[in-house]
Amino acid sequence: MFACIYIPDFPVEAIARGEAFLRERAVAILDGKPPLTRVMALNEKARVLGMELGMTKLEAAVFADTEPTRGDDESSSEEHSARFDLAVLRQRSTERETSAHAALLDVAHAFTPRVEDTAPDTLLLDLTGLDRLYGTPGKMAGDLMSRITAVGMEANIAFAANPDAAMHTARGFNGTTIIPAGQEQKRLGVLPIQALLDTFEIAAQKKAAGKASERRSQQLHEQMLDTLERWGVRDFRTLALLPDHALASRLGEAGVQLRRLARGEGNRTLVLSAPPSRFEEAMELECAVETIESLSFMLNRLLEQLCTRLEARALAAHELHLRLQLEPRVADEETATEQQLVRSSVPSLNTTVQKVEARASSAAEAQAFRPAKHVTINGDSCPGREIKPIFERALCLPVSMCDSKVFLKLLQLELTAHPPGAPVTKIWITAEPAPPRSAQRGLFLPITPEAERLEITLARINAVVGERRAGIARLLDSHQQERFRMDRFAPAVSNPQKHDSPTSWDVNSSLPLALRIWRPARRLQVSLSDGQPNAVLLETRQPEQILLQGKILWSAGPWRSSGDWWTENAKQNGDRTATEQSGPWDREEWDIAVACAGKNNTRGECSNVALYRIYRDLATGDWFVDASYD
Amino acid sequence: MSSVAITPSTVSLPRCAQDLRAHIESSLGEHLSSTLRLQERAAPTTVPTGIAAIDALTQGLPRAALTEIAGPTSSGRTGVMLSALAAATRRQEVCALVDASDSFDPCSAAVAGIDLERLLWVRCNQAACATKRTRAKYQNSAFAFAGVLEQVLKVTDLLLQSGGFGMVVLDMGDIPAESVRRIPLTSWYRFRRAVEPTATVLLLIEQEPSAKTCASLVLQLQPEALCASNPSVERPFSTQQELQFSSPATKSAPALGSKNRLTYLQQGNVGRAVRSENYPPPHAMPLRGMRFRAEVVRSWANRKPPQSAGANFELRTAL
Repeated sequence: MFACIYIPDFPVEAIARGEAFLRERAVAILDGKPPLTRVMALNEKARVLGMELGMTKLEAAVFADTEPTRGDDESSSEEHSARFDLAVLRQRSTERETSAHAALLDVAHAFTPRVEDTAPDTLLLDLTGLDRLYGTPGKMAGDLMSRITAVGMEANIAFAANPDAAMHTARGFNGTTIIPAGQEQKRLGVLPIQALLDTFEIAAQKKAAGKASERRSQQLHEQMLDTLERWGVRDFRTLALLPDHALASRLGEAGVQLRRLARGEGNRTLVLSAPPSRFEEAMELECAVETIESLSFMLNRLLEQLCTRLEARALAAHELHLRLQLEPRVADEETATEQQLVRSSVPSLNTTVQKVEARASSAAEAQAFRPAKHVTINGDSCPGREIKPIFERALCLPVSMCDSKVFLKLLQLELTAHPPGAPVTKIWITAEPAPPRSAQRGLFLPITPEAERLEITLARINAVVGERRAGIARLLDSHQQERFRMDRFAPAVSNPQKHDSPTSWDVNSSLPLALRIWRPARRLQVSLSDGQPNAVLLETRQPEQILLQGKILWSAGPWRSSGDWWTENAKQNGDRTATEQSGPWDREEWDIAVACAGKNNTRGECSNVALYRIYRDLATGDWFVDASYD
Repeated sequence: MSSVAITPSTVSLPRCAQDLRAHIESSLGEHLSSTLRLQERAAPTTVPTGIAAIDALTQGLPRAALTEIAGPTSSGRTGVMLSALAAATRRQEVCALVDASDSFDPCSAAVAGIDLERLLWVRCNQAACATKRTRAKYQNSAFAFAGVLEQVLKVTDLLLQSGGFGMVVLDMGDIPAESVRRIPLTSWYRFRRAVEPTATVLLLIEQEPSAKTCASLVLQLQPEALCASNPSVERPFSTQQELQFSSPATKSAPALGSKNRLTYLQQGNVGRAVRSENYPPPHAMPLRGMRFRAEVVRSWANRKPPQSAGANFELRTAL
């Protein structure tokens, strides 16, 4: 048993897949460079209006609605109905066709691994032996149809005993058609001969590589059609009735093969295709979008399509890449560098672009936390040429997910934190596929934050406190103070073997005295007596506000430490890793107990005794306080 | 007009009133069943802080409730906080620390036994929360920390809404008490309501208690003594020197430990150390630890304690 999935008016379906409201309108797709732009595809409603394939743009414009069309049209009802009767003209989008074809392949490969990628709009599936899994052909057809509808397309599905008969049936009959074995000739007989020649041409084009061979097969197709029309052969039944030998003597081997196909007897082996490994959805916008709210609608559509494709293949995504093509600008002679070009194209938001570029330059740190945004320029920066800046963001997810709403929220927060800086004309979203998360929680394990909600929460927290200020502190192997790195927070799954009950916690173990770090360290005035600190004074810029002042009741020290002295030479030699580290340090540390004068204590009496860690920078001789014991 | 509080379980109602109540309950059925019954709040489950003295005093930190730990600088607040976080991460719970003044020390946390992989550290950023003009305007007023506190409240809201955290700590230990007092009580009430249906311990570290009745447990900490070691003795902890701090809470407390090298003199309220002739050099007397006193100000177990309940505990350095 073989099945064929055929998408009628594929270029129209590819466009309507992302814009569902177009299904209720007459749509014509234009292709070609002006002034040779012509209608290359149209749907049934456009045909009813009187539109035809090959019309010029001017001819098609007579039937068309010239106003920009949106799904959320707020025009009056009369105006709306008047516009509803007109056709919508759209430029052909190869990206959308590629995405639609990939989605179709995903659906087919989720059903069976034996799939032939016959044409962008046609797939052949070998369903031999799958009746145990899916049931009767009728049930399989319903299942296939619902999966195709889920990816946003309308298809013709046909089941037949051989692949060619299934393909002719899908191309000739609307909806779902199941032809029982042995009835192929009877059911296919009513189909026009044009349908047979179309599939014959597809097969010839697949065999012949190159444009010259393609042209030759087209010529052959036209000659054969002329010949058959002269003979009065207009459908499959008439061709099937012709004698075999007479047909072979006049049309050669091709004639015999055509007759066999018309009788529904053709049988061949499918050329199997690999499932698509790239999950990308793209959308070209008619009008440039300036606000994130408007962009969110487009992102939502693309993400839903992407998640449907991933779900169809039982996959999830662990990384999302967003690429936005910004509004093109004409390059000036003066703008030589990329940064200057971008800045000139987005004068109001150039600070954002500069900032992000600067962030991208510190690649090591940015990569450790989250890949940075890149602003790249397509094409050379020659004068007068259109420059198309590309804005890129990447979302690295801690666990694989497949929830379009979570993805949308994360992208919204990402774009709010890093706006593109210019109106958007084209969107690409690519997902890196990964096996879905499978976690078996234990009944007696403590609860942990849900990964999807946690990711959104972290993005929101980052929006509040700033980037790289929320995460895990990872200690670095260094004796220097403050040697840690902030990593993204992704809590490990609880291990039932490691789980300690509260009773097993050793309460008698040593309890450490903690430090509270002052970031940054504050400059301190210290009076010395016999080489030891005697009193301290720390005030802010305003002399009347004193943060720390008092006599030192107890002190211990000094303890001298130094390090990273080798980075000084490395910096001079231009070592990049050395420049990313902090500079050398050389200091004497003291622990002191200070009787602080409380702010409310006007007599200056001691209201509290506190312990601090102070140090003297031996390079400058200045005193600093950098921590308190608590 | 006087109002009389009637507790159905304790007061014997007249027969007709009981009949009336039964009639109302049966007629309203399941819709208002919850409002017609007295619901007693169950005692919260508690988790240990990891400090035996405090656990014995407070019965642990209550889950699904707000706990305040208040005290001045060097009163052991951070030590208690790290100990509680270490205990939580040992139970494999995921914890969050909202650090208002960006003063968390990861090294201290690692020494305390915190699994840093399970701790979300949110470093509030004063520089990002206000414009230069606003900062200059409010630099020396109680509003100077308004931006940071706003961040703290927003982040806490997000964390509590997200759910799944075993412990959420708001560290406002370096924020002046007058600024923290400006946080409206409704915020604390909202937080309490947010954690009530969860198993989260919401811990607040500050200088003075500010959440008032929203807190189920309020612990006041004070420093009591400083311990420095003597390197000439093999067992330093047994013969450590102590410098007692003078504070209203500890003024009448008995002397603790031996003071063979440092002499504590009472001069007004200021403690001063006088060194003897054979005193070792200061670098040979590193800090060994501190002794603190914890007092329960308010507890879910005993709302109005008849007398002050307190306990002493000691935190030691990693030496």
